[in-house]
Amino acid sequence: MVRFKHRYLLCEVVSDDPRCRLSLDDRVLGGLVRDTVARLHGTFGGAACSIGFAVRYLNAYTGIVLLRCRKEFYQLVWSALPFITHLENKGHRYPCFLNTLHVGGTIRTCQKFLIQYNRRQLLILLQNCTDEGEREAIQKSVTRSCLLEEEPGEEELSDGSEEAAEAME
Amino acid sequence: MTAPTATYERIVYKNPSEHHYMKVCLEFQEHGVGLNAAQFKQLLISALKDLFGEVDAALPLDILTYEEKTLSAILRICSSGLVRLWSSLTLLGSYKGKKCAFRVIQVSPFLLALSGNSRELVLD
Repeated sequence: MVRFKHRYLLCEVVSDDPRCRLSLDDRVLGGLVRDTVARLHGTFGGAACSIGFAVRYLNAYTGIVLLRCRKEFYQLVWSALPFITHLENKGHRYPCFLNTLHVGGTIRTCQKFLIQYNRRQLLILLQNCTDEGEREAIQKSVTRSCLLEEEPGEEELSDGSEEAAEAME
Repeated sequence: MTAPTATYERIVYKNPSEHHYMKVCLEFQEHGVGLNAAQFKQLLISALKDLFGEVDAALPLDILTYEEKTLSAILRICSSGLVRLWSSLTLLGSYKGKKCAFRVIQVSPFLLALSGNSRELVLD
C-alpha cells in the first residue's frame, strides 16, 4: 500500500587501530556519512539522503553499523560509503573504511543475514585462533549458536560477537 | 480472391545521439566583467559541483566555442547529464561576488540545429 519504503545498509567498520571501533558513536557516524554524501553528491544529494537517514544499530565491539535511507536515494548513500576514510572522535583521527555486507528492505532481513554472517565468522576465527583458552571459548559459542536455532537474534549477536571480539584483540 | 500477404518490417529509430548541445549566454548585472575560456569552464564546473557534488562535476562537459565579447558559448554534454547541467546553470547566482545569470538560448541533440535559430530570424 502507500508507505515510505527504506533500504537498510549493513556495514562493517574495518580498521587497523583497535581503538577506532570503541570510539564509534552513532551521532558522529551519522554526521560523517551525511557530510560525505554532501561532498560527493552536492546539496541535492545531501538533502535527498538526509530525509529518511538514521543510524539504526551500532555495535562497538564488532563494528557493525546499520544505516537506513529512503529507497529512492539509497544508491547515493551506498556510493558515498567508500569515500569515508577517517573516523574523528575527540580530536583523534583513526583511518578506517566501511565495508558493506548486505542491503535489505527491512531490519529483519538484515538481522537474519547478520546471524548467518556471524556464524560463518566464528568458524573462520576457530580456524585462525592460536590460544587454547580462546579456542575453547569459540567452540563453546559455536555449539551454542547451532543449538539456539529459534531464539531471538539479539542474544546470539551479542554472545557470539563479544567472544569473537575478545578473540581478535 | 485473397490479397497477397504483405510483409511488413518495423524499424524503431530511437535517438542515438549521446550528446546534447546547448547555446548559452552569461549576463552580468554590471558591465565590464570579462572571463576567458578557462574561467568560464571553471564557473560551469563549480556550478555543477555546488549542486550535484564531485561526481557530477566530473561529467564530460566541453565548451565547443566561446566568445569573450558577448560571453556566449556552445556547450556539449552527454545526454544523461543534460538535466543536471541545466538545473545547475539555472541556480547559479554569482561569480566572485558579482551577480550573474545564465540565459539558455537553444538546446538540441544535433549540433547543426544550433547554426540557425528561428527566433533570431529577421524578416524584411
